[in-house]
Amino acid sequence: MIGKKAEPYLLLLPAVALALMFSILPFMRTVFLSFMKVTQGGDVIGFGGLSSYKSLFADKAFIRSIGHTLLFVLLFIPLNTALTLLAAVLTRRKGRRTGIAEFIFFSPMAISLSAYGMIFSEMFRGRISIANRILGTDILWLESPISARAVLVFLCVFLDFGLDYILLLSAFRSIDRSLMEAAEIDGCGSVRTLLWIELPAIRNMLLVTIFLALKDALLISAPVMILTEGGPYRSTETVMYYYYLEAFRSSNLQKGRTISTLMALVSMSLVALTARRKRDE
Amino acid sequence: MSKAIRTILAALLAAIIAFPFLYGFSTSFFSVVDFTDSQARFLPSAISLRNYALALSHRHFPRYVLNSTITSVMLSLLRLAVSIPAAFALTHLRFRGQRLIAGIIMATLFIPSDVLLYENYSTIASMGLLDSYMGIILPSIFSGASVLMLYGAFLAGDRDVYDAARIDGAGDLRYMWQILTPLYSPFDAAILIQSFISSFNSYLWPLIVTNRDRMRTVQIGLTMLGFAEEGEKGAQFAAAMIVTIPFLALLAAGRNMIMKALVDTKED
Amino acid sequence: MRKSILLLLMLLSALALTAGGAKESVENTITIWHSNSGRIGEAFETLIERFNDTVGKDSGIKAEAIYQGAANDVLTKVKATAAANVSELPDIAQMDATAALDMKGADYIVTTDELGADTSSILPSALKALDSDRGLLAMPFNCSSLLLYYNKTLFDEKGIEPPRTLDEFAAIAPMLGEKDGAGNVTRYAFAGVPTTYELGAFIGAQKGLSYMVDAKNGHFGTPERVLFGEEGTFRNFLEHWKAFYDTVFVSNLTSGVRDEFAAGRTASMLASSSNLSTVIATVAGRFEVGTAYVPMVDEEATGGVNIGGGALFAFSEKEGTRLLIEFLTSPESQLYWAESTGYMAINTKLYGTDGYKAFLADNPQFAVAMEQTLSSNPEVVGIWLPSAYQIYYSFQSEIRAVTESGKDIDEAVGSMVSVVQGAIDEYRVQNGL
Repeated sequence: MIGKKAEPYLLLLPAVALALMFSILPFMRTVFLSFMKVTQGGDVIGFGGLSSYKSLFADKAFIRSIGHTLLFVLLFIPLNTALTLLAAVLTRRKGRRTGIAEFIFFSPMAISLSAYGMIFSEMFRGRISIANRILGTDILWLESPISARAVLVFLCVFLDFGLDYILLLSAFRSIDRSLMEAAEIDGCGSVRTLLWIELPAIRNMLLVTIFLALKDALLISAPVMILTEGGPYRSTETVMYYYYLEAFRSSNLQKGRTISTLMALVSMSLVALTARRKRDE
Repeated sequence: MSKAIRTILAALLAAIIAFPFLYGFSTSFFSVVDFTDSQARFLPSAISLRNYALALSHRHFPRYVLNSTITSVMLSLLRLAVSIPAAFALTHLRFRGQRLIAGIIMATLFIPSDVLLYENYSTIASMGLLDSYMGIILPSIFSGASVLMLYGAFLAGDRDVYDAARIDGAGDLRYMWQILTPLYSPFDAAILIQSFISSFNSYLWPLIVTNRDRMRTVQIGLTMLGFAEEGEKGAQFAAAMIVTIPFLALLAAGRNMIMKALVDTKED
Repeated sequence: MRKSILLLLMLLSALALTAGGAKESVENTITIWHSNSGRIGEAFETLIERFNDTVGKDSGIKAEAIYQGAANDVLTKVKATAAANVSELPDIAQMDATAALDMKGADYIVTTDELGADTSSILPSALKALDSDRGLLAMPFNCSSLLLYYNKTLFDEKGIEPPRTLDEFAAIAPMLGEKDGAGNVTRYAFAGVPTTYELGAFIGAQKGLSYMVDAKNGHFGTPERVLFGEEGTFRNFLEHWKAFYDTVFVSNLTSGVRDEFAAGRTASMLASSSNLSTVIATVAGRFEVGTAYVPMVDEEATGGVNIGGGALFAFSEKEGTRLLIEFLTSPESQLYWAESTGYMAINTKLYGTDGYKAFLADNPQFAVAMEQTLSSNPEVVGIWLPSAYQIYYSFQSEIRAVTESGKDIDEAVGSMVSVVQGAIDEYRVQNGL
């Protein structure tokens, strides 16, 4: 039997120990180094203060990458939430034919980023592409900033769709039946039941999916790498892709440390702020 | 919303969601010239298994599939085993430092894993875990996102069940194992499946921590085939399909389990 | 029941995890990390086997090749390993030119000069490409250069020879291009937007030899100053390029250029000579693929092209390391390597031999790449710069702004100079220089 006092800590121990060991502590080292002067070879040669941050903000390409990331968040979160919620709402009642639809909505979970990336690159490739054939358009999708961003958002919806759908659908289906029956007895139509009973009941899970989407959107880099490589003309270069270019392709680890520190701290404070406001309500 | 509109909407959305995979499947049979035809093709000019034969031509492929399967199964089970108690403690118990610990766990969400590559490599190397399954999975067993999903699910859940179980004299461990885990099996399954698939498809980390051919995983094997450099797009698609289709089958099986669990728990 | 199975599985996996891989370390084993995949990977393995059967056998050394992902992944892995424990590094790693800047500053490499490997018969321009203030950093191995690929069938049909200069290119572009009734271009004369790689030739060749930055393009010491602005070389390029673009038959395409070429929608493109066999395979006989020298910016741009590609970086001073490196660059190995991969053969002892002549005769497109390199100024070398990828994309953006939106050329040169100068300054500050 576990001692009552110690129990919660023991239960959390594996998770917290792993989190500290492979995430928090190495990250704190990164934060520390971002205020130092570190050579390309990794030697600390002195205290740098905010100099890494100053040179980062002097870089116009970095400033632009912040804009691209925010734009991506603004486009992605509503579209992703709307589509997954729509799919879950449409299939939340089990029917004879919902099985196939359910499976299709789950299926993106089985398809990896690299597979989707390849498929999307092919679908939107050049003038002679399947997308142009279906839509009857003549667009060089990945050669203009606007359409390239649209394709990127579209790709990312697919990447998150399966998991978000399963979470929302499970939430809908675990709503207490008696609540809905009571509403129906009160003469609520299905739309009103949805709005007043069901959506509030799945609120927590909806927040979780939005939260996960926000995380994915703020930190987006791999889809950019696979689909557009930040192009055309750097229009889809997001903060974390910029990070990738600097830290991995150009070996500028110090700039990488600075960006990742900034990025993590900003996102964490964003979340802390929302959490506080929620508690105050 | 009338039923007809609902059906049409669902069908339309399903068609959009299904299309990329179907198109990818079709292109996995394309010949080299099919890709650069004067009009974009929906279907290959001829059905040939050449691309699949190419994709399966790697001599160590079965070993890589085995390694990926072992590491992915282990990772997803361990991740669940670590996440359930953590989410349970955070939602069902009251203790000092609760907010701090919740904060630590949420904070990890926003630390991009790329940033930790070099540091984690050093840790794994100093633990002597290079070229081992443990080295491949250890850094990613903990996932803030998985804890968060369960946290959200448990929060929304009924506390009456917990109270009743306690009155019945069930300890927390038994409650977690016998009641909580089955009750939230759709979420468990979602985490298992998602962890399995993302682990199966990981590339850079397994590449960095392994050297021996017998420890290598599928994605490394696929790049080793060099289709991208050689312009063998069809074979690239075939390779992607070879790893995707078993997952779809797994998902189809898993879906039935999830849905059955849902119905069962609700009707008990 | 289901639950106990699950529990059992969890326990089993916990057990399986503790079984780690023991490290095998053999004194006489030479490990080489490489990035050769597919057909090229097989050729590489064959070379290693040949070494083990001949030189290796005689001197009791066994070479082991380990694939470590794409060229950039090898670099990532080398750096991760070096940061954790230098003794875990392989004896040799094959990496490309992007690794040079990192390796030049790394204290754990053993330069080819320090190793004492025989370079007497290696192609001078290949050696120059890796020459630095630390001496020869690494042994060139898989070499390539920029080439103009063109649709030979189309050129022959129109009775046109491949262009010698950009002005000539502009003059023939209207004959190569095609428009439909509505005035939309259906075939371009050229597709692509030059990046650092292409500009290495376009700028490097001017006045016989021009550097983009000082310290001989960053090879000797750390660069301090951008040269392509004050020397007017980038401006000169932009003027000629803009005139070429204004023929309306140049497409500013940044992705999928090879597919467009294979589908016959552009008559030419620039690409590395190492892509030759892939391009021919993708074109799949729709037309004959021709290769030609990279067009000169103007009549005075006679420097030619630089050599790019990969090299063998050594991390140990073992005798076997030197033997393996010498074996891989020997005339016999280089002939086999060129035949099976399309990389350039860089051992000059080979050039007079019958085997090599027969190979060139069978592969005329490949012979063009070799001739171009031999007629180039060996001092024209690739640029070693920090923030290389940012700079790469910035060049494209500026060229596009000049061609498409009519940005003033001097302004474009100015902003490009400030991007590169900024990267250099930051690097110097960060590294305490």
